[in-house]
Amino acid sequence: MELWIIYTKLVVVLFLAVSYAHANVDNLPNIVFCLLLYISMNSILYVFSKERIRQGILLGSVILICLSFYDVNPLLILLLPINFYELASPFIKVKWALLALGLIPVFYLPEAEYLYGLVSAFSFVLFTMATRYSEKMMMYEDKLDKMRHDIQRLTASLNENQEYIKQSEYTNRLEERNRISQQIHDSIGHSMTGALIQMEAAKSLLSLDTEKAKELMQNAIAISKQGIEDIRITLKNMKPPTEQMGVQRLKLILEEFSVKHRIKVPFVYKGNMDMITPIQWKIITENVTEALTNALKYSRATEISIEIHVLNRMVKAEVKDNGKGAQRVVKGLGIMGMEERTASVNGTVIVDGTNGFSVTTLLPMG
Amino acid sequence: MNVLEINNLTKKFGDFIAVDNMSLTIKEGEIFGFLGSNGAGKSTTINMIAGLLRSNEGEIKILGKNIASQSKFAKRNIGIVPQDLAIYEDLTAYENVRFFAGLYGLRGTELKDRVEEALKFVGLLDKQKSLPKNFSGGMKRRLNIACAIAHKPKLIIMDEPTVGIDPQSRNYILNSVRQLNEMGCTVIYTSHYMEEVEEICTRIAIVDHGKVIAEGTKEQLKAIITDTKDIWVDVKSNDSLEESAIKEINGVNTVQVEENVVKINSQAEVSNLNKIIQYFINRNIEIRSLKEQAPNLETVFLTLTGRNLRD
Ligand SMILES: Nc1ncnc2c1ncn2[C@@H]1O[C@H](COP(=O)(O)OP(=O)(O)O)[C@@H](O)[C@H]1O
Ligand SMILES: [Mg+2]
Repeated sequence: MELWIIYTKLVVVLFLAVSYAHANVDNLPNIVFCLLLYISMNSILYVFSKERIRQGILLGSVILICLSFYDVNPLLILLLPINFYELASPFIKVKWALLALGLIPVFYLPEAEYLYGLVSAFSFVLFTMATRYSEKMMMYEDKLDKMRHDIQRLTASLNENQEYIKQSEYTNRLEERNRISQQIHDSIGHSMTGALIQMEAAKSLLSLDTEKAKELMQNAIAISKQGIEDIRITLKNMKPPTEQMGVQRLKLILEEFSVKHRIKVPFVYKGNMDMITPIQWKIITENVTEALTNALKYSRATEISIEIHVLNRMVKAEVKDNGKGAQRVVKGLGIMGMEERTASVNGTVIVDGTNGFSVTTLLPMG
Repeated sequence: MNVLEINNLTKKFGDFIAVDNMSLTIKEGEIFGFLGSNGAGKSTTINMIAGLLRSNEGEIKILGKNIASQSKFAKRNIGIVPQDLAIYEDLTAYENVRFFAGLYGLRGTELKDRVEEALKFVGLLDKQKSLPKNFSGGMKRRLNIACAIAHKPKLIIMDEPTVGIDPQSRNYILNSVRQLNEMGCTVIYTSHYMEEVEEICTRIAIVDHGKVIAEGTKEQLKAIITDTKDIWVDVKSNDSLEESAIKEINGVNTVQVEENVVKINSQAEVSNLNKIIQYFINRNIEIRSLKEQAPNLETVFLTLTGRNLRD
């Protein structure tokens, strides 16, 4: 924008210089002095960033132009319009009023009024184009900033989700290992010890009582067989019960909430809860918690019911209260947060305030 | 080819969000249904597509061209039948259609031919000289359809065209939608009647609170909820019944006999009702009544939102 205005000023100054060079004026040194003063004032303008100082300098420049118009050479008034627009534009928002004001001197000029009108209009066009252009730039930059911000936040939440998936995989593995070692200790360990004792006994009896030794060996074989069978069963039940984990965790949260805030929080679940993945559990749990907090804050409800329903291709998690609801829902940060989380796994959130208040999270499966 | 593409469309009235970050793609040749209860945002979306409302965010493309920058192109390729009728009561039927067709730049004999063609299509040619004042609701709606199609748009949008009209006109309109589609038009059809949408639409978006909460063919939408159906056969006596034989029938998952009712659970997409009935007939088992419980779009809406389409 500034570049455009500088060019306009330059054009006017050049025009003046050329016209003075052609016409024989008597007080050329004075004119040159004025022009130089004008140029230096208008250059110094860009050194300062404070709006007040710049306006002061512009005002000085306008006064300089007026003075030189009266005392030095009338043609110098051509410098006025652009300075005037610069000075007045922050105060006069209507563009046409600006142009009209800029044109007023036309009626009081003794000579060259057409030229003045032309320069004034020319400066106006360039000035408006420049401002409009810079406004647009500013808007784009704003938008870009906002988008950058969004991307940053979304990346952060994506990372968090990935982190969570890794975490829960790790937790699952840990729990799995614990379960297996427990089982080995409880059943297989015992049988192996039993078999070992029998075999030790058989070994010492081998030369004394072959019949007895045989019997003991037979026992050991039976126990070992059972042990192998146990190992097989343990390995078969390997799949960790994520269902139990998710449901239990949520139940715990709900119980705590219910006790702490003395409000009924009935919870039902339907369908095959095994189908819900850890990341979906995370989102459901977070959305439910958020919706509970909202209900507590706004609804004046006496009961908040929670339902998780695993459908054929979707999981639905609903939090619904019997409070005062809202005819028109205005989204705050909480709801937007739920929407964003949910969108990260291609789900949607439905918020309805027509009958109590309900927040439904829908997540696609498979 | 994509006839319509909507990306992240949002419309706010104050701080109320009527259309909420909606994205959709509609391909050539589809009859695309917008199913949602009153106030879901269907008309608002359509008014933005038609260029009658400005969006706050997002873009709309008709045949690949942005409607904001190519509004003329968009207007020429869209015909809209708005929810609130747009006809002039004191112009004749003919003049009404001619007026709207004229807006799209049709002139002379072409204009005349197209107007007559459109009136004929909606069955109002013999009423062309009458004033719509004297028309029934259904006839007015049909006249409005004629106004929307005279310029032969690629995409026709009908916003709740069957609200408040008699069953005959309703059938007429549903048939014209099919016919227009066969003639190569892509159609967007909004309604809060699931029967209509289920009957004519090739693909459906369920809209609620300004969002598309599910989208697909009616089979896909139903499969979101369940992929099975229940068939209950009430028989006179179950003496010669063999559960295992019924289980052999293609698609059948489980069979339970409770008193005189045979409860069969079957895969929804297998049509095996005939075979099941045949089994009972072959065994000489008398059927007293038969009930098939398969999900419909109403059940889908209810299950997903917890609310009915119509309250
Ligand atoms: N001009 C408007 N000013 C304020 N709210 C509006 C306006 N137009 C529509 N709405 C609101 O936007 C929502 C969606 O309306 P609409 O698109 O007509 O739904 P539908 O066509 O699905 O019944 C409604 O809650 C309605 O009240
Ligand atoms: Mg509507």
